[in-house]
Amino acid sequence: MWYKRTIPLALVFVAGLLGFVHEYIPHPLSGEFREEVTTSIRIIGGFGLFIGAYSLLHMHFSRIRRRQSGWGYSVFVFLGAAVMIFLGLWNEGDGPLVDPQPDVMTSLQWGYYYVLVPCQATIFSILAFFMASAAFRTFRVRNLSAALLLGAAIIVMFGRVPISEEFGRLLFGEGGSQLFPKASQVLMDYPNLAAKRGILLGVSLGAIAQSLRILFGIERSYMGGGD
Amino acid sequence: MAIPPSELRRLAITRHVIYVLVAAAVVVPLALGLTPGKFEATPYSHKLFDKVNSLPPGTRVLLSFDFDPGTEAELLPMGAALLRHCFRNRLVPLVMTNIPSGVDLARKIVKEAADRSEPDWGRKQTSGVDYVFLGYRPGDVNLLLNMGENLKGAFQNDYYGKPTEDMPALKDIRSLKDLPLVIDLAASAWVELWIVYGADRFNFAYGAGVTAVMGPDMYPFLQSGQMVGMLNGLRGAADYEVLLEKLDRGTFGMMSQSVAHVLVIVLVLAANARFVYRRLTGREKD
Repeated sequence: MWYKRTIPLALVFVAGLLGFVHEYIPHPLSGEFREEVTTSIRIIGGFGLFIGAYSLLHMHFSRIRRRQSGWGYSVFVFLGAAVMIFLGLWNEGDGPLVDPQPDVMTSLQWGYYYVLVPCQATIFSILAFFMASAAFRTFRVRNLSAALLLGAAIIVMFGRVPISEEFGRLLFGEGGSQLFPKASQVLMDYPNLAAKRGILLGVSLGAIAQSLRILFGIERSYMGGGD
Repeated sequence: MAIPPSELRRLAITRHVIYVLVAAAVVVPLALGLTPGKFEATPYSHKLFDKVNSLPPGTRVLLSFDFDPGTEAELLPMGAALLRHCFRNRLVPLVMTNIPSGVDLARKIVKEAADRSEPDWGRKQTSGVDYVFLGYRPGDVNLLLNMGENLKGAFQNDYYGKPTEDMPALKDIRSLKDLPLVIDLAASAWVELWIVYGADRFNFAYGAGVTAVMGPDMYPFLQSGQMVGMLNGLRGAADYEVLLEKLDRGTFGMMSQSVAHVLVIVLVLAANARFVYRRLTGREKD
């Protein structure tokens, strides 16, 4: 099993060590090594793209063939991919090897601006609906911690929007316009900062430990199998 | 314990009502063209604006637009405002992206800002001279490291295929070390990558624009001085537009955001008032 276990582990160790060590060698060779690695990554990325596309299309083809629940959506994956690939290769009749004319809206760009952009923006905007619904249905003041969290959430949410300044003015005159924004800023600058820094340090230490485990072959789950 | 069918029906109806209310809260202020009253920019937006404002004319500023269409509603207005500020102050923005699906978006912002420069500031902007759009190069972190060694090597041509070697916009710029300021607009880990593999290594001032959900994560970097300022969500874009005195998409979205935030606060308070009442009357248990 040396070719399945020993060689991959050795490759990971050598590549990881080179990636780590060259950062501490201020020599032109170190820079050249990095440029070579970048080029290799681009080439590997190209192959990765094909594997990714094949994997995606294969999965959706299987869904259509088996008539799995929601297989109709998979048809749209093929339709979308086929149309965009065709438009890219067609290139307004110039073919795939000619650069598109600058500042001319090609059919491919039309698909990008008027199909992909609205679709992705829609998906992201759905988040607002889920958040509002989830907050209404689950955010309950069951104990002191939940009450503190609710109070902080309201101050931050209100203090972040300009209407809070109008409200402050209405209650306390011109001097009160910054009351809610400043309260919100204090919560962000102190309790939030402290919590985020703790998380950041913890995650970073965990990442270093995990990297060392991979480098020395202790962590092997990325190779597949049980060990 | 299983939820009774009547409660499930009630929850489903409530959810649909909330969706309608949220949609109305967002759409109605936009449709009516409502704008918020006078408001002050948040401190970190102000700091970033002041940093850009302090640069002398002719200074090159690298803008990395690392976002895709999913987050354009928040980040695109920031990019437009930053570019307008650069053009107003005669700075030379060098624009790139690390996201392949964001290339056309970045190109569009740059072109629109350049086209608007003449009516706004009375100056026509020429690609390659007053600004450059470098486009996308693969390589991720390694690309940043290469840019730190040799920027023109990493981007041998701009997006339109023109060689960068003798481009006036990149004159005397050898690497990231020669840039006084880099600003990244991102909805991903790119903000932190720019700090670790860019600003901390090559000693340039660094600022960022991020989505509102990412904003809280950035505070440790602001306090440590690794970031000179930050635009946080659509409010960050609105702040920048107010400071620039050119109101645009960011500011026009503020009324929608205000109404939506107040709506969520009211909904949560109403749900809790009901919860407390039911608990006091013994109809709700933990």
